[in-house]
Amino acid sequence: MIDLLLAGGPGTATSLSERLPVTRQAVSKHLAVLDRVGLVHSAPAGRERRYHVDEAQLARAAAQLAAVGATWDARLRRIKRIAEAIERDRDNNQDRGNNQGG
Amino acid sequence: MEYGSIERDIHVEASPEVVFEVVSRPEHMREWWPDDARFEAVAGAPGELVWRDGESGETTTVALAVVEVVPPKRFSFRWCFSEPDRGGDSLLVTFDLVPDGEGTRVRMTETGFREMGWEVAVLEEQYREHASAWEHYVPALGTYVARLVSAS
Repeated sequence: MIDLLLAGGPGTATSLSERLPVTRQAVSKHLAVLDRVGLVHSAPAGRERRYHVDEAQLARAAAQLAAVGATWDARLRRIKRIAEAIERDRDNNQDRGNNQGG
Repeated sequence: MEYGSIERDIHVEASPEVVFEVVSRPEHMREWWPDDARFEAVAGAPGELVWRDGESGETTTVALAVVEVVPPKRFSFRWCFSEPDRGGDSLLVTFDLVPDGEGTRVRMTETGFREMGWEVAVLEEQYREHASAWEHYVPALGTYVARLVSAS
């Protein structure tokens, strides 16, 4: 939906639902959620409301989400590296032990 | 699926027992995350994560609370508390470990963004609802702004 608002410019629940595989009611409900949290703003347009994206809020939220995800990616890569190094050490020690025994 | 959460999966060529030690022991955690970590891996135990500024030497201490310790399957803790003394809202980080061939599949989940603020939660919802990747939004944003500018 945000895609459509960005690509096609401001729209109403009716104009958006014509381009989405969902009902006007569903679009309307979703727009209300986006409006409440500040990602879109609206103005009266006849019997409906016309919505447009708050591009500054969208960019800020996108950056925030990307940053959180990226930091976890880096932490998990380090967890992988450390665990695999420990595993290799243990395997090597075990091999040595077996050789000494035989 | 809960919105307002971050999920990451990674395969590790090590047994769940080894991975569990790495995610749940402070001496390992400080190798993959903060400069120092102090906590007992016991459910309910309070702890601290410490970051040290390389230049000034100043430290930042963040409270942590261990939630679940189920070796070698699950380790979880809360951090980013909104109130002093580990109160108010917080983020919950959970590591779930599942045997995967000779290794382990690690699933990290961080939840609580919806309670901490709407921005990440809503974006996550958008991210899941739209098949398109985020790369689509930023260029679209550029053309949108350009159109606004030319229309004014």
